[in-house]
Amino acid sequence: MRRGIVVFMVVVSLILAFGNFGYAAGVIKIGALYNLTGEMSSIDAPALNGVKLAAKEVNEKGGVLGKKIKIIAIDTKTNQKECATAARQLLSEGVVAGIGYGDTTYVLAAAPLFQKKHVPFITSGATLPELPKMIGSYMFLVPFGDNVQAYAMADFLYKDLHVRKVVIWTNKATDYTLALSKYFKERFTKLAGKKSILLEDFFQTGDKDYSAQIARVKALKPQPDALFISSIPDDIGIIVKQVREAGIKQPIAGGDGYDTPLLVKVPGPKLANDIYYTTHQAWDNPDPVVQNFIKNYEKMFGHKPENAFAALGYDALMLVVRAIKRAGSDNPTAIRDALAKEHGYHGVAGTISYKHGSRVPQKAVAIMKVEHGKIKFVKMVMPNM
Amino acid sequence: MSFLSLGYVLQQIVNGFILGSIYSLVAIGFSMIFSIIGLINFSHGDILMLGAFSALAFIAALHGSIWVVFGMVGIVGFLIGIVIERVAFRPIRSAPQVTGFITSLAVSSLIENLGILLLTAQPRSFNIPDYLNKLLSFGSVSFRMIDAIIVILSTVIVITLYLYTKHTRIGMAMRATAQNIDASKLMGINVNRVIMIAFAIGSALAAIAGLMWGAKFGQISPLMGFLPGLKAFVAAVIGGIRDIRGAVLGGYVLGFSEVLFVGLLPPDMSGYRDAFVFTLLIVILLIKPEGMLGREEEVIK
Amino acid sequence: MRDRFLAGTYSVLILAVVSYTMNSMLNDYHLTVIEFLGIYVILAVSLSLTNSFTGLFSLGHPAFMAIGAYISAILTFPPMRKAIMMPALPHFLANVQLPFYLALIIGGMVAALSAFVIGFPVLRLRGHYLAVATIGFMIIVQVLITNMNSITRGPLGINGIYPYTNIWWVYIWVVVTIYTVWRVLNSKFGRAMLAIREDEIAAESLGISLTYFKLLPLVLGAFFAGVAGGLWAHLVTAITPSSFSLPLAFLLVVMLVIGGKSITGAVIGALLIGVVSELLRPLEMATQMYGLTQIVTAIGLLVILIKRPGGIAGNKELDLVALYRGLRILR
Repeated sequence: MRRGIVVFMVVVSLILAFGNFGYAAGVIKIGALYNLTGEMSSIDAPALNGVKLAAKEVNEKGGVLGKKIKIIAIDTKTNQKECATAARQLLSEGVVAGIGYGDTTYVLAAAPLFQKKHVPFITSGATLPELPKMIGSYMFLVPFGDNVQAYAMADFLYKDLHVRKVVIWTNKATDYTLALSKYFKERFTKLAGKKSILLEDFFQTGDKDYSAQIARVKALKPQPDALFISSIPDDIGIIVKQVREAGIKQPIAGGDGYDTPLLVKVPGPKLANDIYYTTHQAWDNPDPVVQNFIKNYEKMFGHKPENAFAALGYDALMLVVRAIKRAGSDNPTAIRDALAKEHGYHGVAGTISYKHGSRVPQKAVAIMKVEHGKIKFVKMVMPNM
Repeated sequence: MSFLSLGYVLQQIVNGFILGSIYSLVAIGFSMIFSIIGLINFSHGDILMLGAFSALAFIAALHGSIWVVFGMVGIVGFLIGIVIERVAFRPIRSAPQVTGFITSLAVSSLIENLGILLLTAQPRSFNIPDYLNKLLSFGSVSFRMIDAIIVILSTVIVITLYLYTKHTRIGMAMRATAQNIDASKLMGINVNRVIMIAFAIGSALAAIAGLMWGAKFGQISPLMGFLPGLKAFVAAVIGGIRDIRGAVLGGYVLGFSEVLFVGLLPPDMSGYRDAFVFTLLIVILLIKPEGMLGREEEVIK
Repeated sequence: MRDRFLAGTYSVLILAVVSYTMNSMLNDYHLTVIEFLGIYVILAVSLSLTNSFTGLFSLGHPAFMAIGAYISAILTFPPMRKAIMMPALPHFLANVQLPFYLALIIGGMVAALSAFVIGFPVLRLRGHYLAVATIGFMIIVQVLITNMNSITRGPLGINGIYPYTNIWWVYIWVVVTIYTVWRVLNSKFGRAMLAIREDEIAAESLGISLTYFKLLPLVLGAFFAGVAGGLWAHLVTAITPSSFSLPLAFLLVVMLVIGGKSITGAVIGALLIGVVSELLRPLEMATQMYGLTQIVTAIGLLVILIKRPGGIAGNKELDLVALYRGLRILR
């Protein structure tokens, strides 16, 4: 009996595995690689949702080049080994482009394989600006690079908030936060001088207690004008809560890692105050593209988009579709060339262009402020690079 | 280092104490199960997660006193412990120890991934009523009402449990079974019942610890249990796994070393914190290979 | 005696032929899956030395993998890239670029050396205490790699590693690993290890030096784990400090428990676990219930453990000689 069930499942799996090869004609296959289980899942799952929403909309309008889009999504379980095999599986199934990931670590395991087979890979969430240089001409970013957002925040703090002395806290365990802090420090010291960084402190992903770092800040004489904290979404709520609970009143500033409902919900409206961060777009942006996205996302998935990565996933797929249309073919190299010529896609997460041969978009950064638990849009910034 | 004042150090000690209280509760449950049936239960941490989530549900539904929620969460943990023991661990009781360990990994993976499937991987905020967040200050040391409750409640639980195992019939049956399971059977002790109760109590403690964790840090997620579970294992072993007192000691040692290493290491060395903690633990084990309170294992196979 | 030699040689040859066929017929994706299976076999068989045969509960294997992976990756990198990516690398590493087989062996040897160093203090611990100590060792290695940014590139890890690994390399090392472990087991070393597993105190009273005979399986196992780490690095082409961590340690122990306490068991366990996630993936993709693979694996694990707590192969080894003789009679 039990053996029968096992055999049955194996047979079913094999059928499903090979069944995929069935109708190759009349369909354009696009691969989606995301970590839907494991530690990265809270960031990646919404991005895949965005991809699926976009695919649905495109198909409802008749698809592209007369064919429907088929998204082949694989969960790589926050594990680089799975990235390597899943990427190969997608390539062997003949995808014309790959979309994926919110973190550089996984892009690094999957994208080189796409590069080797001359299939474009577009990351919807990784922000390391050196990625295209590291991987090759088939690598594209949808979000802005960490250098852009860090420069934007440094400029904003210096010019708009007249900050002259900062304390920097960096999560030492992810390359994203290390890069963000590095670029911030670079720009801020250029504006305010080398002595403007009063203290550089560190923590790690998942840390629960920040009293040591808080005590070090409180002991500073003179006191900083602001704290720049490089953090990933899962930690920032806890950090803000403890920092404000300890009575530190200075503004807290950071990057798109703050783009999570946890930023406000965990500390609560009284403590979530005087926080500034850079992100890809503002949800209360009256632009119909943004509002329609929110409406349709809620209709398809039953709740509002969890974070900006959902919008970025949507934009990633739309970019690929536009490239296919421009190229007039579903040949991956043609798609890559057309993608590189993108000169103004009005997306949910901003307007994207790939100029001067760069495969990191020229994209404005949205600066948001949190005031008593409410998130308000401040302005769009395009820093001098 | 200008911040290393007495007040600062005292505050760190208090923080270590609070964290240690939570770790101890989880470590006790862990060591109760281990001392009786020799099982390393890696799904223990996930019961903490289930406790945290059910607490969230109760708080939302009941709007009642926090003590009621504690009680209900404890009951939930109690029941979960009984179910898991019956379904997953009783059938493999006669198997070698490492099989039980793998079984617990499977149970853990099951709970975590069902959690992701049903609850989504997004962390959620865990908000407690305002009066629990009230800051209490004594000189340069301060903590919140909820922290005080955590420490007081875990102390009460630990003392109660200790007296329970020392003076009640079931408690003595548990200690007897832990010492020698065959002799206990011969003496007429219902070993199955004892094991079930050990699981149930241990899980209830883990669930309550989950509520404490959520209340203290303000955030929970389906994957939150893995790390505390691992730390409970380490804590119980360090303290001497055969004894409740060992688990409690191990919990506090771990809590203190975590907080103190972060607090006392200079910022640029803070990345090495986990390495320091574990080196310390390995050194403790080398000095006392049976754990801090451990005794020589009885050589009865 | 002659039968044993022939049986062994034939199996090696058959595996070679199978490898050749697969290499020419299968696509890159399937080949990669098979290469990972081979790496898993090397890992499981090398871990069995300590965990199955000497009765030591070691969870430190990923640390040895990490050491082997990083060392071999650094050694095969061209000096120009190293100057940019890892500025603080000491000269003797920065200016050298070695062929793959040498890099693998050196990576394995450094891993073995670390096992030697850590083994002395730690191996006198028993059971779960040893488990905690090995977890500690693994975390310490992970922390060191994460923080020594200018040598290891920290959390970003090393990427763009040249994809040297192919089915032949994996195949050769699988054969070497199994053969070595088999030889060790059937020697006086193996008997001493088994004696330690059964009863340490009795073994010691028989004059078996506990330190030496516990150190040997750890060091040897670490060598192959280091090699496996190198193969892994040159297959995935990207490694980070978190590539080799506790979940992997657990996975390896699961393979040994599922498969059983023999070399055959280790192989079976490795193949089964390696294959299951690939087979279940289409089901997961079709139903879009992500996490299904892990849930089904967990349930399957529970079922197997309840039905056969000793593992699929138990203590038994695949008797190649009998197989060979049996086949010869058929002819």
